[in-house]
Amino acid sequence: MAATKDIMEALADYKEQCNNNQRLRRMQRDWSKLLHFVAKDTGDSFTMEVVKGEIIANEEGARGVPDIIVTATSEDMCDMFWGDLNPAQKYLDGEILVKASPEDVQRIDAITMIIWPES
Amino acid sequence: MPTLKKVLKLRTVVSASAGLAMATSVYLAGLQIALTVVGELAWISILVAGALCMLSAMCFSELVSLYPTAAGIKLYIQHAFNEKAAVAIGMFYVITGTAIVGAEGYLLSSVMIETVGVRVSMMADRFFWMSIFILIVAYINYRGVSITGWVQDLLTYIMFAFLLTISIYTLATRGVDIGPALHSPNFTLGKVLTAAGLGVFLFVGFEWVTPLAEETEDYRMVGKGMMLAVLLLTITYSLFVVAMYVGLTDQQLKSGTTIPHILFGRNLFGPTGGVIFIFMSLLASLTSFNSGVLNFSRFGYAMARANILPRVFSKLHPDYATPWVAILGLTIFALALCAFTLFSGQFMFIITMAAALECFIYVVVSICVIRLRKKYPDQERSYKVPFGKLIPVVNIVVFSGLMLGIFADTTRDSLGKIMFKNYWVAVVMAVFALVMTAYAFVVVPRLQQAARQRASQRKRRRPGQS
Repeated sequence: MAATKDIMEALADYKEQCNNNQRLRRMQRDWSKLLHFVAKDTGDSFTMEVVKGEIIANEEGARGVPDIIVTATSEDMCDMFWGDLNPAQKYLDGEILVKASPEDVQRIDAITMIIWPES
Repeated sequence: MPTLKKVLKLRTVVSASAGLAMATSVYLAGLQIALTVVGELAWISILVAGALCMLSAMCFSELVSLYPTAAGIKLYIQHAFNEKAAVAIGMFYVITGTAIVGAEGYLLSSVMIETVGVRVSMMADRFFWMSIFILIVAYINYRGVSITGWVQDLLTYIMFAFLLTISIYTLATRGVDIGPALHSPNFTLGKVLTAAGLGVFLFVGFEWVTPLAEETEDYRMVGKGMMLAVLLLTITYSLFVVAMYVGLTDQQLKSGTTIPHILFGRNLFGPTGGVIFIFMSLLASLTSFNSGVLNFSRFGYAMARANILPRVFSKLHPDYATPWVAILGLTIFALALCAFTLFSGQFMFIITMAAALECFIYVVVSICVIRLRKKYPDQERSYKVPFGKLIPVVNIVVFSGLMLGIFADTTRDSLGKIMFKNYWVAVVMAVFALVMTAYAFVVVPRLQQAARQRASQRKRRRPGQS
């Protein structure tokens, strides 16, 4: 089970990777969303705010009404943000649940694919 | 359960489900049902098909409530059986289902040739129109342009309101004499059931809304939406097919036309009626094509990301974030199907195959319901099909029977001439199934092995993990 601190650390790295990737920023330039991440084993929630492809905030707790809700175990969530896990595989196996439009589901996965193409 | 900023409403789930099933080919399939049994009593077969599809919708609803994800059918089969079965059946379902594009494109080209006439030659014109529609839809998807929920609702409900109004008007003004029809030698239980088997084609695609569960507030809404869509389709088709039959002349019925709805429109309101039906046909086909390309290209992308298809299919466009390789692959496949349909002229073969495929998938889904209840009896289900195993078992028996009935039948044209023996449909489907099974057992393990090797060469980034 990953602790809140571990997930926040993973989120911080994820933010850096995303915001420094020019290819990703170009592709996501019209994508502004509020995301909630819920760890189903610990019950912890996290909020990520993306404005025009740039992650501008990561915080503990569920803030606002989200566009996307991702539910996974805390371990999977941590691995996913560090790029050590293929989220599409877990999603297709039903281990990661996403509540969002199909386009947004694909966009979230695309982030991982572009930052860590070999994942 | 937390709420999303934008959630789908029931009316959108219904319109998406019903809209997916409504295409140009349903008019011809409807006429084929009317000619198989007795036109005035075609509604009986459609009601039977609708009632059976409703039972399938109930099974789909239980599975959606268990796995409310876009991974849908792959996940049901994977949990009920195993991953190899899920890949083989899932890909068989998607790839064989794509074949409908060939029939739909062929019939749509008939509509366009009827509208603008032949310019070069029948074959060249047909291929031009088939290609142009596919390329337009592919381009829309490549650019990532999507139809918003309310536009889709408006278009779909206008289409259904129009068909219902026209049907009621025709039946009220022309009347239907069912007395002689009841004594027709064609009105037998066997014929009614054969026509019901073909009637399943009219509902093909209603279940493709299961991925929408991720956009709803309550997962039960998808199940409810599917059931309402099947009800709406059943009522509309039952009335429209009978109205179209009585609205066509004997000569038109026997002509083997591929555009019965346009002839029917012209009989009712002259050239204006024809134009309205041409517009409806284009609308129905384009929205169906669009949903097909959108769903199947995303399916291809997801399969490639999960190392089930080659990784090249997961490539995204740098500006539009669309899976352009998957869209391109699908477009080439669709054009090849159109060319095959054009040169063989066997669009009825594809319609028959789609009906059999739908029966097959309903059987698979019903088996999944039973197996998953046994494997995971305590897992939460917000909807459970009532009466225990009765409905899934009835579904398995009836749809297996209908599928075998389709295979045992012979498809004839409007003059009674044999077009093909339907066992050839079974042969083609069996070949597809074998190819997909070989792919699942031989190719997929290699792709997954290569993915594992790539992953093992990569150092884990997470601190403290080796």
